[in-house]
Amino acid sequence: MQKNTSTLLQTYLQYQGSPFSDPGFSAPELQLSSLPPAAVPFKIWHALDDGERLSQAQGAFQALTQHLQLVGDDQSNLNPGSPILLAQLGVARLRAQGLLGNVAAIMNALGLPVPPEKDTIGVVPFGASAFERKCRGYVVTREYGHWTDRAVRDLALLKAKYPA
Amino acid sequence: MAFFAVFPAVFFLALLSWRTCQSEVLAEHLPLTPESLSVSFSSSLQRLDLQWTVHKLPYQELQMVFPIEISRTETSKVIWMGNYSTIVKRNQVLHWSWESELPLECATHFVRIKSIVNDARFPELSFESNWSSWEEVHAHTPGQKPLLFPKDKLVEEGANVTFCFNSGRKHGMSCYLEEELIHGEQLDSNIFTFKLTNVPFIRQEGTHVYCGVNYDLLDGTVLFVSKVLEEPKNFSCETQDLKTLNCTWDPGVDTSLSYDRQQQNYILFESFSGKEKYCEHNKWCTWEISQDLEATYNFTLTAENYLRKRSVNSAFKPIDRVHPKAPESVQFENVGATSAVVTWKIPVLGNYFTLLCQIELHDKEDVRREHNVSIKVNGEFLFSELEPDTEYVVHIRCANSKRFWKWSEWVTHTLVTAQAAPSKALDVWRIVKSSKGFHNVTLFWKPLSKSHANGKILFYNIAAKNLDNESELKLLRIPAPANGTELTLDQGSYQIQVTANNSVGTSPASEIVIAADSGNEEVEEEKINGTNDGFLISWKPQSGEVTSYIVEWCEHPQNLHCDLQWKNLGPNTTETFISSEAFTPGIRYSFRIYKLSTEKTAYLVEKKTGYSQELAPLDSPQVAVKNLTSHSFTLSWEDYDTERQPGFIRGYYVCLKSNATHCHPGSVKESLPDKSTCCKHDISDPKQKTFLVKDLQPESFYEFSVSSYTSAGEGPNGTFTKVTTPEGRSHMLIYVVLPMTLCVLLIAITCYWKSQWVKEKCYPDIPDPYKSSILSLIKSKENPRITIMNVKDCIPDAIEVINKSEGTKAGCMGTLKPLTGSESSKPANNYQDFPCPAACISFENLTYNESACDSGSCAYIPGPATALPCQLGLLASPDNLPNTAEDAHTNFQGDIPAGEISLNYVAQLASPMSGDKDGLLINPPAPELCSEYKMQMAVPSHLSSPVPSEMAASPEPF
Repeated sequence: MQKNTSTLLQTYLQYQGSPFSDPGFSAPELQLSSLPPAAVPFKIWHALDDGERLSQAQGAFQALTQHLQLVGDDQSNLNPGSPILLAQLGVARLRAQGLLGNVAAIMNALGLPVPPEKDTIGVVPFGASAFERKCRGYVVTREYGHWTDRAVRDLALLKAKYPA
Repeated sequence: MAFFAVFPAVFFLALLSWRTCQSEVLAEHLPLTPESLSVSFSSSLQRLDLQWTVHKLPYQELQMVFPIEISRTETSKVIWMGNYSTIVKRNQVLHWSWESELPLECATHFVRIKSIVNDARFPELSFESNWSSWEEVHAHTPGQKPLLFPKDKLVEEGANVTFCFNSGRKHGMSCYLEEELIHGEQLDSNIFTFKLTNVPFIRQEGTHVYCGVNYDLLDGTVLFVSKVLEEPKNFSCETQDLKTLNCTWDPGVDTSLSYDRQQQNYILFESFSGKEKYCEHNKWCTWEISQDLEATYNFTLTAENYLRKRSVNSAFKPIDRVHPKAPESVQFENVGATSAVVTWKIPVLGNYFTLLCQIELHDKEDVRREHNVSIKVNGEFLFSELEPDTEYVVHIRCANSKRFWKWSEWVTHTLVTAQAAPSKALDVWRIVKSSKGFHNVTLFWKPLSKSHANGKILFYNIAAKNLDNESELKLLRIPAPANGTELTLDQGSYQIQVTANNSVGTSPASEIVIAADSGNEEVEEEKINGTNDGFLISWKPQSGEVTSYIVEWCEHPQNLHCDLQWKNLGPNTTETFISSEAFTPGIRYSFRIYKLSTEKTAYLVEKKTGYSQELAPLDSPQVAVKNLTSHSFTLSWEDYDTERQPGFIRGYYVCLKSNATHCHPGSVKESLPDKSTCCKHDISDPKQKTFLVKDLQPESFYEFSVSSYTSAGEGPNGTFTKVTTPEGRSHMLIYVVLPMTLCVLLIAITCYWKSQWVKEKCYPDIPDPYKSSILSLIKSKENPRITIMNVKDCIPDAIEVINKSEGTKAGCMGTLKPLTGSESSKPANNYQDFPCPAACISFENLTYNESACDSGSCAYIPGPATALPCQLGLLASPDNLPNTAEDAHTNFQGDIPAGEISLNYVAQLASPMSGDKDGLLINPPAPELCSEYKMQMAVPSHLSSPVPSEMAASPEPF
């Protein structure tokens, strides 16, 4: 899954044109207010209890699932002639949903309350310009990778904690 | 006069009064000032839309002019001013738009307007209002993050676009078009503008323009650049079924963009019916024919995209646009060898139209026959003069004949005509070879061409009839595709007929007669010169009736199967040119010309041979040297095969190298590649294969080579053969040596015969002493005991070396001197104590000395010293003896230098009569017992004096 997130980001950038497709493109300053960033100081992350850890992951992947749907819609409009990208975005959304289900199952198993799904995007940002939509897609695919990396670490920590 | 003085004043006052009155009226019309001005904007179109009203219009309509001013950033910075002239109606809301080059979001815009009445009908209403107040337009909410405008703009390729960027007081900002840096101007403290001219089409997904500070992306926008929409080309409509019009056009360049799937659309509008149809396809559209076929349709095709519309027009009657479908149900009927009927149908159109149909007939050679037929629905056409057993391709198409629009598509079918009997006799030829009373006849024929075979040839029939005995008839059937056969006939005359047969019938017979004397003709061969194109063969006209001439040749004469070819020529022909791709330079071709009599008998009349191109000889003759004398020799190359050369041999060059500086007359001096020279003789007669080289010097060295030449040049230079002429008197030697040899031989034989006589004369037998006459004499006169000495009775001499003191030595051998002056006090060995008796018997034999000794007749005869009847006295100094003995011993085992022989002793029996008393030694006293013996010694001449004493001192045999 981690490898797939990296491939998705590369494919996404490749189809957007310059500057996105330029070698080494990176715009960490771009963020989405509707999508929580995965980056967190290690100390804080390590100090999280199980409930906080899992509910943050749960919230992030809920948001990612919705955002990946939005990016898929944007790209089918902006890049209708790129079935590979559209397919990868679809697959990424399904994987995010799968992970979401797994995290919910773990929370249930640990007796933690599963937060209800909420509309993270809010009012549909139809008025966004093409460039904004491309940037939005970039942030979503980037954060999808970061959150996947973080989820792997989260689950590894839990696994170490509950070996059975 | 007063009246006249007052009147002008009154008039002036009246006028003033009227003017005042009028001003009051105009003051009432001031509401003509534009009111309710509102300004809206369209970001995507970068357009300001103005809307206002003019209240209380005094008339129903009034021509007015509205000056408008637009300022940017602040009211004082007017960027545009102009007039909008229009006829204003009462209660009308007026609209006017202004397109901004700069995106409206880039800055605040201000608009104001005023009005001027300018209607010629109401000159009294001339009026100019005050400016309205400035209307402020904010297309972009101030305070938002840095933004780049315009967003998602659609433009055509080649347009000019101005961007603006609100940097929000950030420094170090730069903007890019794709990857290319673009330079801008500062509009105010925060706003930068960038003007792109003649923007290119890059991709359907749009072109990116973005700005950032350092490596931070601040904002960007996508500029969608489309190709320029073109006018549809070749717009036309037609009907195939009289119900539907099918309209087609060439849309030109595709202007679609991926953005919201922007693409060009086509709309078909018919003006008479007022109907419009949105076309689903970019290249064609259908339209139902609802009216009469003869009614006119006026179509407008409009192409449009987001930015532009282009239209084309076409007006026509459907009846003029009938495009028949391709003919159907094409069939061939009554197909014969030379004729066939084709039928077809044109569907749909019915009997309403008269159609013109075009029929094309192609055969394999692509010969085309065209026919035009007028039909209604069903068509029919008879093809005649066809070739039997031939495949034809038939194409048919039709069109409306009265109102021609377009031909239908071609429909293609294949027609194969029936077979017929072969129409031409075979071209037959033969080779006749006579042997053992038979004619071996090989028949050849050329296969019939397709146009004459009229079908597949299945077999050939051959009938050979004996003309002398007509009852004798041979029949043969040779299956195709043979092109020849062999017959063995007796020596009689035969008439041979050959026919080709297909499934339908038989060809006319081809006849040839083999005469009884065929194959034995002797005609001299004539040489001809060919060319690269071929050979011109000519012959003398023959007497008698000639039906034709036949020229025969082998195309590959070097092969086992020579590929016989022949050419049949008319009776009046006397020459023909024979060409072939197979003719190769350097190959000899032979041509035989036959005349064919009226009885179909062929007679050989001439033979020609030649090369299409002669080449230089392949090899040079192998030359043998014959009749070599001291002054001449003969060169011979009889084995050289001139017939196998790639050209006619015209002669030979003999090249002779010699030491002579001048060549003999008849030869030319020529330089050779190795810088030597030779005398070259030219033998221009190719039959001369010998050459006499004469006037040579005896005992001289000559080199020669022989090469042949053709008209194309000289063959390879042969290797030089070396010849040395013999000595001039050598024959004399033969005259002398031979008799002498014979003489010697004769003498040798004679000697052999007379060998006994020679032996007796030259080396007689040694006489046997027992048989000597002297013996009988002795026996009778003296001691009867005396006999001939036996070898076994003889005691050989012995030498003993005895070590003796000086005194003894002196007493015994006063005359002898020691060999060396050195003395030794040591006793030498056990020889030393022998006393020297006074009455010593000494045997000496001085018969031989070394000089007289022959290797074959001398021998050492050793004997035991102990058998001596007396002891030898000491003859040498005892000091010298050991050395001497050692030396002698050593020398005998090794080399014996002649001058160093110190001891040499030979004892041999000798005849008492041959004793030599003149020895060098002092004669010792000779006792009686020894009186009959003499010691024989081989003495080196230079040691003749001292050696005997030393030898006598040696007691041991060697």
